[in-house]
Amino acid sequence: MSAPAQVLARPVQGSALVEEIKKLGITHVLTVPDSHQKTVLAQLAEGSSPRLLTICTEDEAIGINLGLYAGGQRPMMIIQNNGLYAGLNSIKALSFDARVPLLMMIGEFVRDPAVPSRESRSRAVRMLEPTLETWGVPYYKIEGPEDIGSLARAYHQSIEDRGPVAVIIGARTI
Amino acid sequence: MLRKDAIESLAKARNGALAVAIMQSEAPWHDAGQADDRYLDVTGCMGAASSIGLGLALAQPDHKVIVLDGDGSLLMQLGSLVTVADSAPANLYHVVFANGVHQSTGNQRLPAQGKFDWCQLALSAGYRKAVSLETPADMDRELPGILNSEGPVLIRLAIDVEEDAVRWPGSKMADEVQRVRAALAA
Repeated sequence: MSAPAQVLARPVQGSALVEEIKKLGITHVLTVPDSHQKTVLAQLAEGSSPRLLTICTEDEAIGINLGLYAGGQRPMMIIQNNGLYAGLNSIKALSFDARVPLLMMIGEFVRDPAVPSRESRSRAVRMLEPTLETWGVPYYKIEGPEDIGSLARAYHQSIEDRGPVAVIIGARTI
Repeated sequence: MLRKDAIESLAKARNGALAVAIMQSEAPWHDAGQADDRYLDVTGCMGAASSIGLGLALAQPDHKVIVLDGDGSLLMQLGSLVTVADSAPANLYHVVFANGVHQSTGNQRLPAQGKFDWCQLALSAGYRKAVSLETPADMDRELPGILNSEGPVLIRLAIDVEEDAVRWPGSKMADEVQRVRAALAA
């Protein structure tokens, strides 16, 4: 009989992430919805601040992020790994080249929490970190409740660098 | 109508509005003296003008925002019509320069020309109003009223195809973003 698989990514309370988002003074959360972070999205949808906007595509969300920032607001994005791939040209132009902070919480859609991301059978999961590294996007991983402070570190880095920073959410939030 | 004539008419009607332009409307907007501290060029990301304009409009609801978009560009992020309509910013005016071609890459035709209508697309997406203007005289007559009406409004402009007219302003978006932020914070 084989030993039970070790769980690497453990669920984080959606409410704890929302609390962190509020502490950062985020004004707008732009999302192309992610099943991994649906408890976060549900809680944001119940409140009015920060304002939650559901956007048709990641490209658009990255453009709106730029406009909000230019207008003096403090936006961020919630997307999934597939959305990161969809939005790469916009990240290149509207965050890197335009020197605009872009905080992205990225859910690892279809990740098995017992398997390290880079060993996943899913290309969407396996290629996320290498893709971020190839593009030079700094990233943090939230693999359990003890990592929640990474969100604030990522936000401040995005402001300081005036560029994109990713926070990878390893397990479905609860 | 010629793009430069349409730009001149827009410049006359701007009246201090924030502005965003993309692709082949950028250089003529600079030529018209409109590239000030309330303006952004959109570089390297076709289709993004309407989204950037939406972000500005939401951030600054007391300021009007004019987006100078292209038909080929908007087709690349057509869903933005729905996203704009969802937020329904009353201060957003979305101008589409419609020449039916990708001018920046050599005037290749856009898909489905003559088979769809920009005003109908915008209205069915949920824009409050959509108008089509054919001449500079139409623009001079109609724009002041349009820009005093409640947005979001799509303004489709009938633009001539021009040969060998590709130009870029050479501006840096990173500088412009900081300039706009500073102007709005002052």
